Amino acid sequence: MALDFELSEEQKLLKKTARDVIKQFEPKRDELREKVMKRKEFPQEVWDALAQAGFFGSFLPPEYGGTGMGLLAMAFAVEEMSALGFGNALIILTTMDALCILKNGTEELKKRFLPKIADGTYKFCFAVTEADAGTNTCRIKTRAEKKNGYYVINGSKTFITGADVADYMLLVTRTISYKEVVEKGLPKAYGLSLFIVDTKSKGITLHALPTRGIEGMNQFTVFFDNVEVPAENLVGDENAGSMALFKALNPERILAAASAVGLSEYCLNIAVNYAQERKVFRDTPIGQYQAIQHPLAEVKIHQEAVRLLTYKAAWAYDKELPPVEVGAYTNMAKYLGAELAIMAVDKAIETLGGNGFSEDYGLAHLWEVVRLLRTAPISKEMILNYISEHVLGLPRSY
Amino acid sequence: MKILVTVKRVPDPDMKVRVNAEGTGIVEDNMKFVINPFDEIAVEEGLRIKEKKGEGEVVIVAIGPSVVQEQIRAALAMGADRGIHVDVDSYPDPLNTAKLLKAVAEKEAPNIVIMGKQAVDDDYGQAGQMLAAMLGWAQATFAYKVEIADDNSKATVTREVDGGLETIEIDLPAVVTADLRLNEPRYASLPGIMKAKTKPMDVFKPADLGVELSPVLELVRMEEPPPRKGGIIVETVDELLDKLRNEAKVI
Repeated sequence: MALDFELSEEQKLLKKTARDVIKQFEPKRDELREKVMKRKEFPQEVWDALAQAGFFGSFLPPEYGGTGMGLLAMAFAVEEMSALGFGNALIILTTMDALCILKNGTEELKKRFLPKIADGTYKFCFAVTEADAGTNTCRIKTRAEKKNGYYVINGSKTFITGADVADYMLLVTRTISYKEVVEKGLPKAYGLSLFIVDTKSKGITLHALPTRGIEGMNQFTVFFDNVEVPAENLVGDENAGSMALFKALNPERILAAASAVGLSEYCLNIAVNYAQERKVFRDTPIGQYQAIQHPLAEVKIHQEAVRLLTYKAAWAYDKELPPVEVGAYTNMAKYLGAELAIMAVDKAIETLGGNGFSEDYGLAHLWEVVRLLRTAPISKEMILNYISEHVLGLPRSY
Repeated sequence: MKILVTVKRVPDPDMKVRVNAEGTGIVEDNMKFVINPFDEIAVEEGLRIKEKKGEGEVVIVAIGPSVVQEQIRAALAMGADRGIHVDVDSYPDPLNTAKLLKAVAEKEAPNIVIMGKQAVDDDYGQAGQMLAAMLGWAQATFAYKVEIADDNSKATVTREVDGGLETIEIDLPAVVTADLRLNEPRYASLPGIMKAKTKPMDVFKPADLGVELSPVLELVRMEEPPPRKGGIIVETVDELLDKLRNEAKVI
């Protein structure tokens, strides 16, 4: 009888703490929104409060300054934050990078970086995408070449979220070029290497991108011009970074799904409150009409399904189930999470009518955020490919 | 310095409470339960006193069925040292609550008992005063500020009273009840939550404490307040007076 949906006492407390931490910003919501959305400044005070409560150590073991509560703990936190309308992509990125270092880094790297992630000192961004290599990571061109105890990095990355505020980035490079790998008949994913790179290193320049949908964060093209990275900053073995990389992508997707669950709750709250107050005909609130009720009820049903799937994915990750199983739940949760969040924003806008487009309610803006979730961190189509190939056992289509 | 703090399990005040169809209580399905907000302030005050003294123990006591252990654990996660659960099937009325607390206070012999000024579920606001009377201790209700003398013999308490603040000095041990502005409670940190798992919690039945419960209040019926009607805007003072006199019949 191992199947048990009851949250443990500490999980309930953790959810409450997540809510309490965020709620203290409630009186300053408008001010924070202005800062984050309009001025695109990083909400350091929110980050600090989460750090102080111990959230950045929740998924790290005690020997590195954490509490060992697993990725599930962070999923709860991200869900609660999003439910109160505070999303933050850098939390998700820092978590995925920290877990990648934890699972693949040397003891020296772990000791150097993890305690400072756990206490909130270090923020991390993640750099894999290139102009000519998006979903197909094997084709990246950014090179790292070993010279006198350093790796010298040249190339560029794009769509790098938060590169301006992050202290470090987890960078995916090629230590053997794609061309060479193909010519020698090696596996295409061979020759990838991961590094922890100080974002203030000499030779790094940032070029801001005019993108939308990443709440309050800027995205950049990052150029690397002979950037020297100490050899000990290599995460995992040289050339064998692909497995570490693919496993590292799971936490990002799980937390994206958790944020979708929270966002849907945020939209539902706006819509339900509005429907209870708003009267159009006679003295009847519009929430009494089935045409208003049913779409919102449907969102709630989908929400619970995604919540269960998201928790299951985080549980599978924490339990270190076989990679395909973790990947399956993770991708399913991310897929359905995006659809849920899009549906939730859409139905909330439908409920609010013209007010759905008012800046006061912020729903139209959320549309960009949730629509991005269908595309990133992995597209809907690639998830369907993954499920077809790895779960259904059908031939690879691409 | 030993500080005894009481916590009550109450429905989350952020949620909408509905009365059940039989009128015997509220609908508990899908309700979240939390520490009574005034008790949370009491816990925070206990922790602050201990931190300021640099020594001491904060003991949490809660009365109710086994689920109240969740609220004890929550207080331990905030930083309290150990818990006492007085195990009864339902939540007793204020007098019986005070009787049970008196037995716990005599057993623990704290320097001070800190309670919320009232629980937000039934809003009686009586148990603190009754407890102080039964123990024959001083009481300072509706506390706004609490200062403990260096030798733990006295406390200076500023109280919220009608029209302002009143500062009194009381001998310890005493019962203090916390008002809203006493402090801003901390939240349980994640390390605090993990530590709370291993903190001790004793469970007593009323009989273990030598108390026999004898209810003095009977809940006859519970009903929802009538829905509030929309207001109207009157044009003139005369019209206002007319409506107050003839429609509302209040003047």
